[in-house]
Amino acid sequence: MNNKTKENKLFDEYLNNKQLPRRGFGNAFNYFSKLTPTKKRFLIKTRDSIIRSMGVTFRVYDNNKLIDRDWPLDLMPRIIKEKEWIEVKEGLIQRIKAVNLFIHDVYHKQEFLNKNPVLKSLILESPNYLKECSGIIPKNKIWANISGTDLIRDHRGNFFVLEDNLRVPSGVAYMLENRNVMKKVVTDLFNKYQVSPVDDYTSQLYTCLSNASYSKEKNKTIVILSPGVFNSAYFEHAYLAQQMGVDLVESSDLFLSKDNYVCLKTINGQKKVDVIYRRVNDNFLDPEVWEKDSVLGVPGIIKSWKEKKIAIVNAPGSGVADDKAVYAFVPKMIEFFLGEKSKLKQVKTYLCAFEKDKQYVLENISKLVLKPVNESGGYGILIGPSATKKELSQYKLKIQSNPRNFVAQPLIKLSTTPTLIKTSIQPRHIDLRPFILSGNKTFVTNGGLTRVALKKGSTIVNSSQGGGSKDTWIVN
Amino acid sequence: MLSSIAEKTYWLSRYIERIENTSRLINVNSDLLLDIPHDESNDLKHLIKITGHFDDFKKSNSKENVFFYLIEDEKNPSSIKYSIEMAKMNSRYLLTMLPKSAWEQFNNLYSDFNNGAVKRNSEDLYQIIRNSQRFFAIISDGMQRNDVFNFIKLGRFIERADMLSRIIEDQILRKETYVNKYYQNLQWSSVLRSINGYESFKTINKENLNQEVVLGFMIMEKLFPRSLKYCVDKLIEVQKFLPKSTNIKKITKSLLKNLEKNNVYKYDKKILKHLDNFQFGLIKLDKEINERFFSY
Repeated sequence: MNNKTKENKLFDEYLNNKQLPRRGFGNAFNYFSKLTPTKKRFLIKTRDSIIRSMGVTFRVYDNNKLIDRDWPLDLMPRIIKEKEWIEVKEGLIQRIKAVNLFIHDVYHKQEFLNKNPVLKSLILESPNYLKECSGIIPKNKIWANISGTDLIRDHRGNFFVLEDNLRVPSGVAYMLENRNVMKKVVTDLFNKYQVSPVDDYTSQLYTCLSNASYSKEKNKTIVILSPGVFNSAYFEHAYLAQQMGVDLVESSDLFLSKDNYVCLKTINGQKKVDVIYRRVNDNFLDPEVWEKDSVLGVPGIIKSWKEKKIAIVNAPGSGVADDKAVYAFVPKMIEFFLGEKSKLKQVKTYLCAFEKDKQYVLENISKLVLKPVNESGGYGILIGPSATKKELSQYKLKIQSNPRNFVAQPLIKLSTTPTLIKTSIQPRHIDLRPFILSGNKTFVTNGGLTRVALKKGSTIVNSSQGGGSKDTWIVN
Repeated sequence: MLSSIAEKTYWLSRYIERIENTSRLINVNSDLLLDIPHDESNDLKHLIKITGHFDDFKKSNSKENVFFYLIEDEKNPSSIKYSIEMAKMNSRYLLTMLPKSAWEQFNNLYSDFNNGAVKRNSEDLYQIIRNSQRFFAIISDGMQRNDVFNFIKLGRFIERADMLSRIIEDQILRKETYVNKYYQNLQWSSVLRSINGYESFKTINKENLNQEVVLGFMIMEKLFPRSLKYCVDKLIEVQKFLPKSTNIKKITKSLLKNLEKNNVYKYDKKILKHLDNFQFGLIKLDKEINERFFSY
């Protein structure tokens, strides 16, 4: 009995087992716990009006109607000590280096795949593997220039990598705006900590994009390609464009010149583009190569890319490594490509493509979290321990009919942190998405976007499904 | 500047100016109705004529029907509601292009209109006018003189010239309604009020208020911002800051010539013909702007 309760204990980042603030967390915890309900309501009101006037929104579909919701930010910061963070940061840099070498290998010699035949067959069948990208050499051999890696902490407080987002990870604008709002609302709490700044992200992003260019010109033309105003991340696209001082474009603003350069349509005539930071998925990028009906892409852009006349960030085809099956192999990649041991832990992953793993998963399904390989945003996930018998047996059938499509992981009890729920302080589950930029140098944000599941007991942090966010403080 | 952004800016500006002008038009006419003996149903129909979509109006000419059609009917491309929705659609792309306060002011205009009570009285319309004026005031007062600014100016003065010429045309056509000379003068003074020009007019013309002098003022007064001459001057001025276009220059110059040459305002038929030419010139100008900057 005693043992069991210990196993079930969650790790709270602010409070120890005796519900007392951990070292370094007292100032923040007391700041909030000592507030009267009136003062809390006042802070919440201030926050809401600042968010509204700054226009920080995210877009959702409600009954087929497009609605801009105010961005949900919890006022209690997520605090991580700098010493811990430095280790995580090194781990992230190591990981993204290996992943980029892996992607390059997939589209060139396939040495790593040849050593891992099951992975090879999974990859060659994967919709994320784009054979058209074979043989291409992006600048510096970097494919995933911009990535967002989801991290969680377990019941002991250890950091684990949950997912590598290598396609078009979003959320960074909210990370930046969260800090701006916090500075205005809880100004005096900042005086009690030395919080690492986050606001140089956009200039780092500009440098990273500029590094990706094939062109030797000094002033490069960089644009952000957005699917359009109805995209759920449009706020972020517009925000980043404005902060970097580059044009935010849609496919109709771009065309291919006769000599295969990608050009912008401006009031002064056409203008050659050097780098496209695209927030459009691979398969919509070029109707001449992939989705023929796509109106979000630029016909011929892949041709131009192959001739090194345009840099596309992230490179098409990077998504091949953004896959739950590939994830399982990252520690091996790090050994293979870098000759190092993985610095970051990751969650044990069973690939149902392996007969042995499949058997284990089918027998232990009620203890595991099941995930389809090619989904994101938390869709299609089954959490074994909280599923009904019917759901479990239905899922088993799904696995048996297409084992390659599923992976399973033990349930990690996500750490919690105190969160303001109306005027009371309650623990809520969180994760963390730092952003990593790979150019001539590798840059990791100080912290990242902390997402919080606002419903009691829930671990679903996605903002499209009722999640909120926190400002992440790396403190000295 | 991206062609697509230039186009959206141009249209945002035209729609906001149109919202304001349509509100003015409705207000002045409903004021006038209070003063002049009239046949209400006929007097309101002409409002729909000015705004351009007469054939689509199928209901009876009751005040409610006409006002609904002009103010709130989403299906009528010349209604205020339609213009506001179109402005909103264009504005979505301009989030990062407009000064923040202008952006907020546009959102106020939008939500004030859509949250307004169902009754659409002249106070509601004044509120629209004030909101539009505030929007342009922020632009004039606090915006960098960049290409976005130039396209706002371009759209605004084309739209204003267009509506002004329609108002003049309409009032001439309606003159017969007001047989009595006294009422005709009343008609012209309310037209002046509708363009915020009564006081300015009076400082220049203290004794006379008749068609000839009022038209002289509305068409050729170069110092008054709601005269045709002023609008065309602005269109010429803004071109200095835009990429060169000989065609646009030519069309604007001929608009100006048209105004200067035809400065006799006694003969209705003649004036109507010149106004027709003028409007045709504006259409040509819009088309040329589109071809030169937006969809080449």
